[in-house]
Amino acid sequence: MKDRAVLVIGGGVAGMQAAFDLAEAGIKVCLVERTLSIGGRMAQLDKTFPTNDCAICILAPKMMDCYRHENIEVLTLSEVTAIEGEIGSFKVKIRRKPRFVDEAKCNGCGDCARVCPMGILNKFDMDLRVRSGAYIPFMQAVPLIYALDRDKCMRCGLCEAVCGKDAIRYDQKPEIVERNVSAIIVAIGFDPLDPSGLTEYGYGRYDNVITALEFERLICAAGPTGGHVIRKDGKEVKRIAWIQCVGARDTRDNRPYCCSVCCMHATKEAILTKEHYPEAATFVLYTDLRCFGKGFQEYVNRAEDDYEVKYIRGKPGEIREKENKNLEIFYSPSSDRVEKLEVDMVVLSTALIPSEGVEALAEILGTELDKYKFFKLKDSYNPTETTRAGIFVAGYCQAPRDIPECIAHGSATASRAMEVVLGGSYDRRA
Amino acid sequence: MTEELRIGVFICHCGINIGGVVDVPAVVEYASTLENVVHAERNLYTCSSDGLESIKSAINEYELNRVVVASCTPRTHEPLFRATCEEAGLNRYLFEFVNIRDQCSWVHMHELEKATEKAKDLVRMGVAKAALLEPLEELTSEVTPSAVVIGAGISGMTAALSIAKNGFHVHLIEKKREMGGMLRRLYKLYPTEELAAEFLEQRIKAVEEHERVELHLSASIKAVEGYVGKFKVILDENGAEKSIDTGVIIVATGAKEFEPEGLYEYDGEKVITQLQLEEKLKRGDSKLDGIENVVMIQCAGARGEVVGYCSKICCMNAIKNAKLIKEANPDINVFIAHNELQAYGEEYELYYRDAKKAGVRFLRFPLERRPKVIKSEGKLVVDVFHERLQMNIPLEADLVVLSVPLVQNPDAEKLSKMLKVPLGQDKFFFEAHVKLRPVDFATDGIFLCGTAQGPKDIEESISQGYAAASRATIPLAKGYVSSEAIISSVDEAICVGCGICESVCPYGAVEVVETEEGRRAKVTGVKCKGCGTCGSSCIKRAIKMHHFTDEQLIAQERTALVTEEVVS
Amino acid sequence: MKEGEVKIIGFLCNWCCYAGADLAGVSRFQYPPNIRIIRVMCSGRVDPVIILDTFLWGADGVFIGGCHPGDCHYMQGNYYAEKKIEMAKRLLKEAGVEPERLRLEWVSASEGERFAGVMREFTEEIKELGKIKFEKDEMEAACIAAADYRLRILATKEKELLEEGNKYGEVFTRHEMNRLLDDMVREEYEAKKILLKLKKPKSVKEIAAELNLKPNVVFRHIMDLRRYELIEVHEIRDNTPTYVAKVEEGGE
Ligand SMILES: Cc1cc2nc3c(=O)[nH]c(=O)nc-3n(C[C@H](O)[C@H](O)[C@H](O)COP(=O)(O)OP(=O)(O)OC[C@H]3O[C@@H](n4cnc5c(N)ncnc54)[C@H](O)[C@@H]3O)c2cc1C
Ligand SMILES: Cc1cc2nc3c(=O)[nH]c(=O)nc-3n(C[C@H](O)[C@H](O)[C@H](O)COP(=O)(O)OP(=O)(O)OC[C@H]3O[C@@H](n4cnc5c(N)ncnc54)[C@H](O)[C@@H]3O)c2cc1C
Ligand code: SF4
Ligand code: SF4
Repeated sequence: MKDRAVLVIGGGVAGMQAAFDLAEAGIKVCLVERTLSIGGRMAQLDKTFPTNDCAICILAPKMMDCYRHENIEVLTLSEVTAIEGEIGSFKVKIRRKPRFVDEAKCNGCGDCARVCPMGILNKFDMDLRVRSGAYIPFMQAVPLIYALDRDKCMRCGLCEAVCGKDAIRYDQKPEIVERNVSAIIVAIGFDPLDPSGLTEYGYGRYDNVITALEFERLICAAGPTGGHVIRKDGKEVKRIAWIQCVGARDTRDNRPYCCSVCCMHATKEAILTKEHYPEAATFVLYTDLRCFGKGFQEYVNRAEDDYEVKYIRGKPGEIREKENKNLEIFYSPSSDRVEKLEVDMVVLSTALIPSEGVEALAEILGTELDKYKFFKLKDSYNPTETTRAGIFVAGYCQAPRDIPECIAHGSATASRAMEVVLGGSYDRRA
Repeated sequence: MTEELRIGVFICHCGINIGGVVDVPAVVEYASTLENVVHAERNLYTCSSDGLESIKSAINEYELNRVVVASCTPRTHEPLFRATCEEAGLNRYLFEFVNIRDQCSWVHMHELEKATEKAKDLVRMGVAKAALLEPLEELTSEVTPSAVVIGAGISGMTAALSIAKNGFHVHLIEKKREMGGMLRRLYKLYPTEELAAEFLEQRIKAVEEHERVELHLSASIKAVEGYVGKFKVILDENGAEKSIDTGVIIVATGAKEFEPEGLYEYDGEKVITQLQLEEKLKRGDSKLDGIENVVMIQCAGARGEVVGYCSKICCMNAIKNAKLIKEANPDINVFIAHNELQAYGEEYELYYRDAKKAGVRFLRFPLERRPKVIKSEGKLVVDVFHERLQMNIPLEADLVVLSVPLVQNPDAEKLSKMLKVPLGQDKFFFEAHVKLRPVDFATDGIFLCGTAQGPKDIEESISQGYAAASRATIPLAKGYVSSEAIISSVDEAICVGCGICESVCPYGAVEVVETEEGRRAKVTGVKCKGCGTCGSSCIKRAIKMHHFTDEQLIAQERTALVTEEVVS
Repeated sequence: MKEGEVKIIGFLCNWCCYAGADLAGVSRFQYPPNIRIIRVMCSGRVDPVIILDTFLWGADGVFIGGCHPGDCHYMQGNYYAEKKIEMAKRLLKEAGVEPERLRLEWVSASEGERFAGVMREFTEEIKELGKIKFEKDEMEAACIAAADYRLRILATKEKELLEEGNKYGEVFTRHEMNRLLDDMVREEYEAKKILLKLKKPKSVKEIAAELNLKPNVVFRHIMDLRRYELIEVHEIRDNTPTYVAKVEEGGE
């Protein structure tokens, strides 16, 4: 008797879509997410190109649908530590880190967070906001259950004292659970590259050079600044430039690939800036404008015509910080000229790279990675199948793709897993 | 109904999306003064877990029997709030949605006061309707456990095979005599450079061999009837009419190459399209005897020239063909005049570099100054304005290849009408939601994949093919679909059996039947889709369109117009 | 809505126009805040009675938004909507109201920009027409006429009569159809106005004078109304009968 269940690793859009389709088709799903909440990167975004739909507005119902589905078990703060068996009958070990809060009891009131004296940078907000030691990463987190950050906790006992639901558990221990599944879907997404190593951009050294994901948090109404794009010195931006392909399409660090979404997210961010500050000047410095998706060219046209976003072809050779903390960008628009552009903020569209821990996970799963550490496909034109039978891959961790492509890819792997669970198809050939 | 009405109103700030324009606290205060409202509150995000929790706890605490949420749009959030009501023990149809974001705060961003007034009006209207809501139950109906896939290109073949492997019978319908679609006409494929014919052969074999795939070649769709779970597709197969019962339908009809008539001196011989070049290469003409200079022109007819969009595949396709020509015959000069270059993703950038290494020359023109093809005395010159050098470069050419975009098939419009699914402004099939539902149509039970949805490469077409298979398998695997609770019903005491309702219902959901009292109209619940046309046609106004009843609509409209509670 | 501002009520179908209105929002296309939108599943749901009731209650404009011809989620709902709205327009005219105050537009789910444009335009038009003016009795008569089975049959059957002909196989031309509609609408409207006047007992002469109609026309209507048992003889005054409407009649 094969197990009519599937394991999904990673609760971003791709993983959630895969889980949801399978669950709807009557298959049990165990969704393992490393962080406190499902939602993935999309939850961090303000709006989404090319429709400017509010990201969390459209994602939140999906997160809830997933979490509440009778066929989906969501395990947060969890990671896969071992698998045995083969397609049709995998036995999976999952390590659940303690939350130090009783999941069944917490009702998400947040009283613990209000009394906690600790101040810790919130990773979800790209370290731009301080949270307390008892926390949820963001307002719409699913599940809405608080957690204690035990590394930083000084055990003052205030949260325990104040919790009306008696949910604090300082003594919770990590726990290993086992699940039997027929197929596995990996959807662990990406991390933004830390651009400090690319010294020409001055990230980390200059006050007002930030990354695109940091920008998304800044311009988000629910973000650390309530949607205001302000510099370190508290001034609102007046001239702002995006720099594309930072660390991408770059052979130096073996990252020749194009991340596929940054031209459009820069366009989006520039439009959003103009919506907040119609007087601001916005520039996008790029090499090739990748506007290939449905409605993308039209979106770029709107940015140029209606929002006066200025696109400049040219990759900066250097950025210098002035005394007033403004930035001078040097780039060459044609073969015999170097131009200077002064702005008060620079946003780096950094390369997007496979998630931290991808190698360890690939090792556990017994699947191969390609030379950039994306999950390797068994063969070309077969975009769902890893090198191990019964293990499929969805979303950005296979190759760069935007949200709708991740969702389609998530559904695609669901069908592959259905072939195994419903159709009993263990034949590896597509 | 004699129960006391207890309405709860929840008003969402949606961060600043609503709160930044509409004075939410004022609307809450106003709502709490309305008749039958026993509780009104505001939430930063009503759809967040804590927002939903507070709906549930308010239902219990205030014994609410109607819930009104004023936030975004019912099109995305109604299911969530309905489910929340249900969890708290309230019938899901005792919920009313008020849209104060998409149709208020977002469209009146500079008129704060008036937007607040409007929000108040809308809430008042919602409360008025809520007072008249009635509990409803959903019906379920069985699903015919088979699928129809229209179009046997790579995406349709992928979808069909996957559904078959999921355990269900599939009818794969192709208008041509053979499967394969666009790929039949191609030479080699990027980025692997395998022969398209070999690639196809394996895939076609797998489809042909699968016991659950039933092929209908040289077949075209004549008519489509029914609804999710119970479609009937009428085919003309080789001249014979066939009728197929199916639970779901997938549209995988692909796209065609744009014909650049009248552009760039196109003549189909010296100035040809990429597809014509593929066909030439496929005929074994890869050495292109007698040709010294090949110039490819990108975005021909695309990105504002004729169609507005970027066709996604033509850059890579040009790079592929340029590279193949160059490698087969290094003496030929191959130029690609382009604007942007869509060498996106993991592999294409490298492929592009390889083409450069192979000696393909790339020249960039600004989109405002596209190349010109000049034909004189049998000679071709392509005049390219070089963006970086800021000067014109005339290129002599023996062969000019136009990289033209993919465009919708001409017969797609007919199909879209038969299926009642929309085409977008770019004429490609228009999915249910650009971000979240890339392979669904808004109509239940119909899905799409491949280039029918928009230009894309093979890998993505395959990915969508599988995705459509997954979405389509859901109702098949479930075995049933829950149909609308929002349907019409006939008041037999008023009905005179005239049959006008029967004549307007597109689903045959109302029929006049003999009863003891005489002829009366009767509604078949699962067939009814809830459009309400019968109700507005009924000569005796005997038909009630539940959830959108005359009383409810009139209450909304009157309440909108009259600020005080004088409405009767 | 504040007094003085023009008030517009919109009935939008869920699948196309409502979605288009949402897209206008998502894309932040701005338009004047005069409209109050009511969602219906299909434009075909919109009953002329409801439209006229909306005017009766003081709307300065009514907007109906449906799918483009051929795109209707329910196949032909928008076609029927068109016919019903034509009927409502005729009745508006009878009641002395500019038919342009009622507007039907097809807007698809991808036409956010167009939706905002149409809103701007329609609001402007209504502003130019100014606040609505009508005699309450006349608009009420129009409402009741719209509820009457004769006009309802005609509005729905119009297509059939034009394409397939009537029971005798006579196919109507567009022109004949228009005349038939004009006549029927006028008849119904007059009859309903008389019915409303008969809330209080009146003689034929009195009604004819009040409504500025010929006495023989009024008499014919009175006979009809009696046949349908909508009115009864109240008393005989100086050899002249007076009539009165039966209670519980009169529509909402
Ligand atoms: C600045 C920026 C702006 C963008 N804007 C847009 C936009 O406007 N529109 C658009 O379409 N796309 C946009 N994108 C791209 C979009 O974010 C991605 O396409 C999408 O989020 C990828 O989804 P995913 O599910 O593959 O991965 P993710 O969203 O990264 O989700 C992966 C999940 O897996 C979890 N995980 C990771 N490792 C493990 C592990 N070992 N075990 C368990 N769980 C694990 C993570 O915590 C995460 O929850 C943007 C990207 C960036 C960087
Ligand atoms: C010149 C050119 C070169 C290309 N080269 C490459 C390449 O090298 N690598 C790559 O990845 N991609 C390439 N592509 C893109 C590739 O062709 C598409 O991604 C792929 O063909 C899409 O497959 P599909 O199944 O969606 O559509 P199609 O291949 O177009 O198939 C659609 C099928 O549906 C049938 N059909 C249409 N209407 C109906 C109807 N009403 N009823 C029944 N059947 C119908 C058609 O006859 C056809 O068989 C190229 C495209 C072009 C134009
Ligand atoms: S999408 Fe644009 S910015 Fe991102 S790597 Fe590709 S070309 Fe560079
Ligand atoms: S893919 Fe390339 S050639 Fe095709 S339209 Fe886009 S930019 Fe132009």
